[in-house]
Amino acid sequence: MRTVVLRRALFILPVIWGVSTFVFLIIHLIPGDPIDLMLGETASTVDRGALRRQLGLDRPLWQQYLTFLQRAVRGDLGRSLHNRRPVSTLIGERLPATAALAGAALVVAIALALPLGVLASLRPRSWLDTVSMLLALIGVSIPNFWLGPLLILGFSLHLGWLPVSGRGDGSIAYLILPALTLGTAMMAILTRMTRAGMLETLREDYIRTARAKGLVEWVVVGKHALGNALIPLVTLIGLQGGALLSGAVITETIFAWPGLGDLTIRAIQQRDYPVVQGCVLVIALTYVVANMITDVVYAVLDPRIRFESE
Amino acid sequence: MVLCLGVICLFSLTGCTSSTDSPEASTAVLRIGLDTAPQHLDPRFGLDAASYKVSQLLYNGLVRLDAQARIVPELALSWDTPDATTYIFHLRRDVRWHDGRPFTAADVHYTFTSLLDPETQSPKRGSFDNIRSVDVLADDRVQFVLSEPFAPFLSSNMTLPIIPPPREGEAQRNLDAHPIGTGPFVFVKQEPDVSLHLRANAAYFESKPSVDEVVFRILPDAMVRLFELQKGNIDLLQNVLPPDLLSRLGEDRQFNVMKSPGTNFMYVGLNSRDPILRHVQVRQALAHAIDRQALIQHVLHGLAQPADGILPAGHWAYEPQVSRYAYDPERAAQLLDAAGFPDPDGVGPQARFQLQYKTSQNEVGRRIAEVMQESLRNVGIAIEIRSYEWGTFFGDIRAGNFQLYALTWVGVTDPDIFHYVLHSQSIPPAGANRGRYVNLYLDALLDQGRRATALEQRRAAYSEAQAITASELPYIPLWHDTNVAVLRTTFTGYSLPPAGDYRAIQSIRRQSSDRAS
Repeated sequence: MRTVVLRRALFILPVIWGVSTFVFLIIHLIPGDPIDLMLGETASTVDRGALRRQLGLDRPLWQQYLTFLQRAVRGDLGRSLHNRRPVSTLIGERLPATAALAGAALVVAIALALPLGVLASLRPRSWLDTVSMLLALIGVSIPNFWLGPLLILGFSLHLGWLPVSGRGDGSIAYLILPALTLGTAMMAILTRMTRAGMLETLREDYIRTARAKGLVEWVVVGKHALGNALIPLVTLIGLQGGALLSGAVITETIFAWPGLGDLTIRAIQQRDYPVVQGCVLVIALTYVVANMITDVVYAVLDPRIRFESE
Repeated sequence: MVLCLGVICLFSLTGCTSSTDSPEASTAVLRIGLDTAPQHLDPRFGLDAASYKVSQLLYNGLVRLDAQARIVPELALSWDTPDATTYIFHLRRDVRWHDGRPFTAADVHYTFTSLLDPETQSPKRGSFDNIRSVDVLADDRVQFVLSEPFAPFLSSNMTLPIIPPPREGEAQRNLDAHPIGTGPFVFVKQEPDVSLHLRANAAYFESKPSVDEVVFRILPDAMVRLFELQKGNIDLLQNVLPPDLLSRLGEDRQFNVMKSPGTNFMYVGLNSRDPILRHVQVRQALAHAIDRQALIQHVLHGLAQPADGILPAGHWAYEPQVSRYAYDPERAAQLLDAAGFPDPDGVGPQARFQLQYKTSQNEVGRRIAEVMQESLRNVGIAIEIRSYEWGTFFGDIRAGNFQLYALTWVGVTDPDIFHYVLHSQSIPPAGANRGRYVNLYLDALLDQGRRATALEQRRAAYSEAQAITASELPYIPLWHDTNVAVLRTTFTGYSLPPAGDYRAIQSIRRQSSDRAS
């Protein structure tokens, strides 16, 4: 097990370096001058030059890149070009909101997908199966920017059960609609995967044996079938977990949810290089760590993988 | 959806207490929805519209512009101009900062010297570099000496909000985090990019605002702004609802939809260095080929007034006797033929030439682009629309990397804006002559309008400048936006200002029946 963890941990460094280098190049190469966006059009050429020098933007790109790397190694992500606040502080303020949203979306997706997928697999081609798969199809087809306002219209305006937007006092009520909006697509994918995995597992010999031994059906399904069908789902949840963090941008904008996605978009629009780099670094790190956890959980769930690695 | 319902019911049973942020009934709280957060609460740094509008509530300038863009005293009681470059302001003595300290001439001195200090790195410094000195003559008198006569000095420079100097032992005040002003509202707290809370300044030198508190909520999505309004969580939305969403409020008796002519000016920018667009006849043909009325009617739902120049009708410097370009495709075709761009196949599919039209990703802006594309196709001009995110779009416009684009000038007050957008010295990076238009005679007129201190002399210079721009068309005027405010009917006493700012919310009152608990 330790080998699995160590091997995966070693991958983190080159991946993070690669991602941060790529983002550094992209954000510096796209058109748009941060000085123009900061100073507007009234500032004189002298003032523009002074600010450019002060922010280090007059230096060659490779020098700026080296400075960025040196700081990043020390854990210093620099300061925002716009408000001069440390990037780590800005991210620290936003990360909890995004983590809460992504976590809640994950819970919603799993909580809905597992029962739907299992029920569909137990009665294939029944009305239950049809309804589950229809829901999955709708879930994966509806874009967030449409689903979000639709949910607000239904549950906030017409029924009056939930708040429209924002984080309010931090109560769970504010989290429900954004989490449903963000988690629906993942729920749809997981439902299909659960159904497919369960259908395959239920045809296995050991399931027939379990039934022949006279085990009650819920033990056969819940313990023997679902446990094995979950293995490929873990990989998918790991991958989608990272995607939830980065994919929260639209949901955060719709629900005025003050998270990392909103910060990243704003920073890109303002060409606030250090903030963009910091945000992407955190998102990349989340992806890599999520994948590492997936591999470890996979090894825990499936002894064959564990033994192969060792 | 059924499952969503189930999950929501479950959560509702466990945690949902109240879905609205209803204020305490005994306190009159006005909740305003903004589309973007103010970037800076320190007026030396804020360039965006939201910062400007919020700063007006926290601070005061020496003078301000009234609803008709006339200069009226604010922190100054009066002023003398012994010569064309000297201004002496007599200050009010009954003004106190939000922390209780009295306002004096030293505060004015600090505001302008700190702004002009290169160390401060204020983006506004370039607009104030005509100030040669600021001297405190007495506690209630301050003198400004300019390097040369500058007619828009009062309207452009003296409206700058005055800020307090640092306290003893403090190098700088962090006004972005804890703004202190003399204005009608006092800063209470902010959550960056989420909300900003202000309370009425009971000691305000004019009169205490009628509402007790103002809460700005940042709601980036237009649909959600509408939902929050309908839900009862927002009381005022001003110029932040697109026309198609506004039409949904038309019959709702909960809201008072107010409209008034605005000063924001939308135009099509043209690159004067482009080999096709440098022909004045081509520019005139474009103006004739664009159906402004149809655009206003169908895209903006009637919420704009056709414009023939930057200044709105009613402005003291507005010149009505200028060339106008009614929608006339036939005339447009004749002008294009005369300019040497005949249609190769008459009514056939081939175009006379193709132009690239750049726009931001603003939804209304893109729709406007599509309608223009159709209009111009009718006269044989093919338009390729390119939509970019703001940073890229603005970068291209500043760099002159465009043929056509459309944008809006916000906050048009002094006619000196012509210098800023059309003078040959204002070609970027040092100005906003983005179309690179050069006309030395126009330059001379704009210099004259800037230096002349007598209003009639300025009016004469700008009249001629408007006549030239209307015939030369360095840009194509489209319209002045109509301001639209949606106010909950439980509030009264609001009159929507032409500049579309929030200064007038001081007079908003909550009806007494709603104040009772």
